[in-house]
Amino acid sequence: MQNKIKQSAANKTLSAFAYVLLTIGSIICVLPFIVIVSGSFTDNATIITKGYSLLPKNFTTAAYQTIFRSPKDIIQAYKMNFYYTGIGTFLGLMMITLTGYVISRKEFKYRNTVSFLIYFTSIFGGGMIPWYLMYANVLNLKGHTLAIWFPALMSPFLVILMRTFIVGAVPDAITESAKIDGAGHFTIFFKIVLPVLKPGLATVGLFLALGYWNDWYRSSMFSTNSSTWQLQFYLYDLLNATTAMKQMASNVSMKTADLPTESVKLAMAVVATGPVLLFYPFVQRYFVSGITVGAVKG
Amino acid sequence: MNKKISIGGSLACIILALPIFNQIKVVNLVAFFSKIGVNKEMAKNLFTGYHLFNILSFVQNANQGALGIFAMVLFLLAVATLYFNIAFIIRVILKRNGNKGELGLIAAGKLGFFFELITSFATIAFTIFANKKFKITGFVPSVAVYIAIAVSLAGYVYFKVIEKKEREKYKEHGLLKEFKKNWPLFLMLIPTFIYFMINNYLPMFGVYFAFTSFNFRDGLWASPFIGFKNFEFLIKADLFRLTKNTILYNIAFIGIGNAFQILFAILVSRVTLKWFKKTSQTLMFMPYFVSFVILKVIVYNVFEYQYGLINNFVTQSGAEKIDFYNTPSYWPFLITFFYLWKNIGYGMVVYLATIMGIDNEIYEAAKVDGANDFQQIFYITLPHIKPTFIILLLYALGSIMKGQFELFYQLVGNNGVLFNATDIFDTYVYRITTTQPLSIGLGTAAGLYQSIFGFLIIVLVNFLVKRKNPEYALF
Amino acid sequence: MKKKVLSMFLAASMVATLLSGCGSNTAKTAADQLEAEGVGEIPVAEEQAPEETKEATTLDLSKQVDLVFYVMGDAPKDEEKVEAAINEKLLEKCNATIDMQFSTWTEFQQKYANEITAQSADLIYIANWLNYGQLASSGAFVELDDLLDTVAPTLKETVGENALNMCRVDGKIYAVPNTWAEYVSAGVKYREDLREKYNLPVPNSLENLEAYLMGIKENDPSQGLLTATTEESQGFQTGFDAAWALNFKYNWVTQNGLYYGLAANYDTPSDVYDYWYSDDFVDDMKMLKRWADAGFWSKSALSDTNNSESYANGLCVAEVAGQNPNKQITAIMEFKNGGHDDWKSAYVAYGETNGVIYPGHATQNGTAIVNGCKDPERALLVLETLLCDDEMNALIQYGIKGEHYDVVDGIYHNLADEAGESSTFPYEGFNTWNLRNGETKLPQATDVELQKMFDAYEKLGAKTKFPNVNIFDGFSENFESYSAERAAVSNVMSQYLAPLEAGLVTDVDAAVEEFRSKMKEAGIDKCREEYTKQWKAYCDEYGYN
Repeated sequence: MQNKIKQSAANKTLSAFAYVLLTIGSIICVLPFIVIVSGSFTDNATIITKGYSLLPKNFTTAAYQTIFRSPKDIIQAYKMNFYYTGIGTFLGLMMITLTGYVISRKEFKYRNTVSFLIYFTSIFGGGMIPWYLMYANVLNLKGHTLAIWFPALMSPFLVILMRTFIVGAVPDAITESAKIDGAGHFTIFFKIVLPVLKPGLATVGLFLALGYWNDWYRSSMFSTNSSTWQLQFYLYDLLNATTAMKQMASNVSMKTADLPTESVKLAMAVVATGPVLLFYPFVQRYFVSGITVGAVKG
Repeated sequence: MNKKISIGGSLACIILALPIFNQIKVVNLVAFFSKIGVNKEMAKNLFTGYHLFNILSFVQNANQGALGIFAMVLFLLAVATLYFNIAFIIRVILKRNGNKGELGLIAAGKLGFFFELITSFATIAFTIFANKKFKITGFVPSVAVYIAIAVSLAGYVYFKVIEKKEREKYKEHGLLKEFKKNWPLFLMLIPTFIYFMINNYLPMFGVYFAFTSFNFRDGLWASPFIGFKNFEFLIKADLFRLTKNTILYNIAFIGIGNAFQILFAILVSRVTLKWFKKTSQTLMFMPYFVSFVILKVIVYNVFEYQYGLINNFVTQSGAEKIDFYNTPSYWPFLITFFYLWKNIGYGMVVYLATIMGIDNEIYEAAKVDGANDFQQIFYITLPHIKPTFIILLLYALGSIMKGQFELFYQLVGNNGVLFNATDIFDTYVYRITTTQPLSIGLGTAAGLYQSIFGFLIIVLVNFLVKRKNPEYALF
Repeated sequence: MKKKVLSMFLAASMVATLLSGCGSNTAKTAADQLEAEGVGEIPVAEEQAPEETKEATTLDLSKQVDLVFYVMGDAPKDEEKVEAAINEKLLEKCNATIDMQFSTWTEFQQKYANEITAQSADLIYIANWLNYGQLASSGAFVELDDLLDTVAPTLKETVGENALNMCRVDGKIYAVPNTWAEYVSAGVKYREDLREKYNLPVPNSLENLEAYLMGIKENDPSQGLLTATTEESQGFQTGFDAAWALNFKYNWVTQNGLYYGLAANYDTPSDVYDYWYSDDFVDDMKMLKRWADAGFWSKSALSDTNNSESYANGLCVAEVAGQNPNKQITAIMEFKNGGHDDWKSAYVAYGETNGVIYPGHATQNGTAIVNGCKDPERALLVLETLLCDDEMNALIQYGIKGEHYDVVDGIYHNLADEAGESSTFPYEGFNTWNLRNGETKLPQATDVELQKMFDAYEKLGAKTKFPNVNIFDGFSENFESYSAERAAVSNVMSQYLAPLEAGLVTDVDAAVEEFRSKMKEAGIDKCREEYTKQWKAYCDEYGYN
């Protein structure tokens, strides 16, 4: 409903300032993306000789045709990506939220110790080799899909973030009164904390999902079969194959027509990113204003 | 608790742990040395008795890499023992109790004796392990170890007894009781525990590689121990410049980055047109998806000297071409700009979510009181964001020596001219490890340096923040 | 009462500790102790009973062994099919199966190292560009000397003593090379059609190369000339690719001289002299600056990494770094595929002008058995089968005859390629360049042209002092004692040498001075001392004097 109170001059300038700044920011942010999309629709030779531009100089869908010529591989990569993102985000979010809840409980004697131990892992680490050996040798998970989604289930940053959300969303007074009413921790968690945690869940869930969607490193390290590849790795590897083959001294395959060209690289970037742009607005719905928790005063 | 006794006990532990007494004696010199392949030359660098702080030198000089990690664990335990005992004594002298009577002190004291106990047992275990490995009795724990066990056991028991009494006084409880009371919380932590164990804590043993010279013949756990030699390349590396660059860039990123993220989050929350709100948010989020590999291509096309976009404009308007790729001074600004460009949308989300969590009623009340938008932002929104900002800031500080590797590596590439202004720790180490591909030690040593640096900073800052407002602290 | 007891106990323990501590405090050095005991020398522990020399016995093939064969690159689409066909036959012959695993081209250096560290592969591809020398000397591979005699004498004969000797590291054989000799010399690839059009000289020397490029520039100012970046200059020889052109001027033992700015001529390999601190160096840098000012390459070239397609698309007319004969053949194909039928690519090897040319080293492509393999005898037997048995070799190299390929007039034809589809099993589809058998290798259509070049080079190489011997690539450097200085030197090269060689400095003399002094600071002398020692020892060992 329109607010009937007259907007003062200060408010009007603030509004104008907001719109202008946001417009400038959006344009700067989206510009390179437009260049990429336009490049993906441009003829490859034109890109190399004339460079990139905002509008395709020589419109063609050849790049996309190349990608989808053998769609089996890219569809498999898409499927795997959805699988990893789905299972990873679901499990990860659950674990992160539970942990955030535990360390936000003031009555938990060891919450500072646990917080410290979790945070410590973000500072110290043994490096890549021991981590790789852990999964590949000790747990024998090389080639298994578990090795691809398990390592990213949690991160200290997200745990701390979730804790902040929980502390901000649920005032102590409410949990106190619930406890007096005899509620146990599980009840408090599911009935009181979760329902008001939507912005927190949405944020952390989004970050988790994006991390999974964009990752290629774990496929690179642990996959032994292209059927378990993540989408980004499939694309990134195609790029690297071109570069490597052009540098190899050995007599490698002469089929240069199969090697991705500049425009195909751009098309691949679009194809990989596309779906995510659709689910970000979807998640935005959850960034709703806080439920009035003002039911308890004083 | 009797101060004198406890301080006395702790002092005993400290003295026992200090590198005055030799906890491990070497016996059967001739037979032992011949078994492990030490000759008279090498024996010049070996001793007949070692304490826990120089047992590693034995490993190094006798070329027995297999004992390395155990020796390192002993070393760390000895350091921990000293630390906890000294901390306890200081606390007793300064009388810093905390508010639960003497429970805090007792806990600290327990910890000190506990570590001494463990260290002693570990020493004995070490000698057994080494003797088994060489199939000859070469090591024998000295009397000091057994005395340490006796003292620490006595101290520990003493404290346990006192603790029980104090706990009754203050209605506190120990681990078992906590477990019974809050068992759902422990249950909830089980998956997390498994995860961090597998993914982080067990691989942490790999830090040991920073001190070895890896070769395939001996394998990972038995390669020769070389002490700090791997860190030498850091010293030769113009460490000051790298540290300066890394820290300055990170400060710029954190400071300017968060400022912009907060600014834009507030602006988005203030805008009323729904479609504009959603669109601008989505658009600003998009740079996150442009991988640096692709970005590099576009950036090169824009800044290149002869045909780049910018130089095209510049020549058309009659001015002189700008040589970006050979002028280091442009790049701090350019890199910061691209960092901001890529991360504003992403970082904005956290702040936006926080703002959305603010109760609308507060704003309504303020409006009724006649506050305009600016004032509302200043007095309501910003204070609410403060906890989030501080936590994000603290978190980022811990990684202050680590950089955005992809960002720097892809944009600058191998262009040596720009290194003075754009080389950060991560890119330098990357270049080095590609010229020496089997150097697990170098990479781990570099990582250790970054970790320790960040750790010291974060401990300091967290401590300061905790004193001001414990709610904001990370741990 | 309790307190009294406790304090007494504490005091007593402290005294006891002090006493015993004092006793063990004077820790002598072990040597002193030994002296005191009157011990002379320490007897060396008895070695284990030496293994009996094995006779060539037939292996016990009763247990089936599953091996992992790790190679580079990506898997072909029909990986499973061809693997099944191979394993069917392999089970009959050796009671073993192989599982091909691929490194892909992403982070392959790291993954290759991981594979060996984790000991998860049995047979593995090796190459000098994958640090074969260092890995072997570090104990990553199984020693093959005895095994070759006992298990695979045929293999030993096929490959030959010479080639096997080239795979020796620290005196032991650790890998089996392939048996197809190829020339991977460096040279200049250039546009022949433009040369004819503007009547310019063939770029077979520094002067001619300059004339060629200037000539094109006069006739077509907007034409890009050289694509030079830092891509081929990642080691310890050059900092910028344009410096490769200097190979026309010198007859060094290998292109771009030795490491760390040292050099030696092919005729006198053990006679090492200083290049970076010589006057020749200053002259060369001045020449490169002249070229840079003339606009032969972009001013922003140091940051350029997008250059892979510039030659094929006409953005440059020549490339001087990392161009071996294979790349020339590829270029010809690319011109055809890109629709530029009137463009012609020609190639001149540096060796044609400076007289130094030699085939690729045996460690260019080889196979090794990873330390930790549970059954190295079986692995070697499988390797012998795959290399020497014609049927198996054809299977693993080309796929299934009639389905993937066909042979017409002795030339290999890929059936899918000819049909215009993307091939499911291309030539050497498993990237097993290490299994090439020189006797039975099927040439592709383009290989005919390539072989002609190789024959010409062989004739040239026969005239050198060490006929057709690749001296440099067999040398592996042990840089452990100077790794810190080495790292610093590498950094100075990126920061100071690269801009020098790219001609981006204003005052060459001053820049050279700065470069030289920074090098001294970084510890170049230590690197050079050690390196020279090792190089000379290597030359002595093989008689390259």
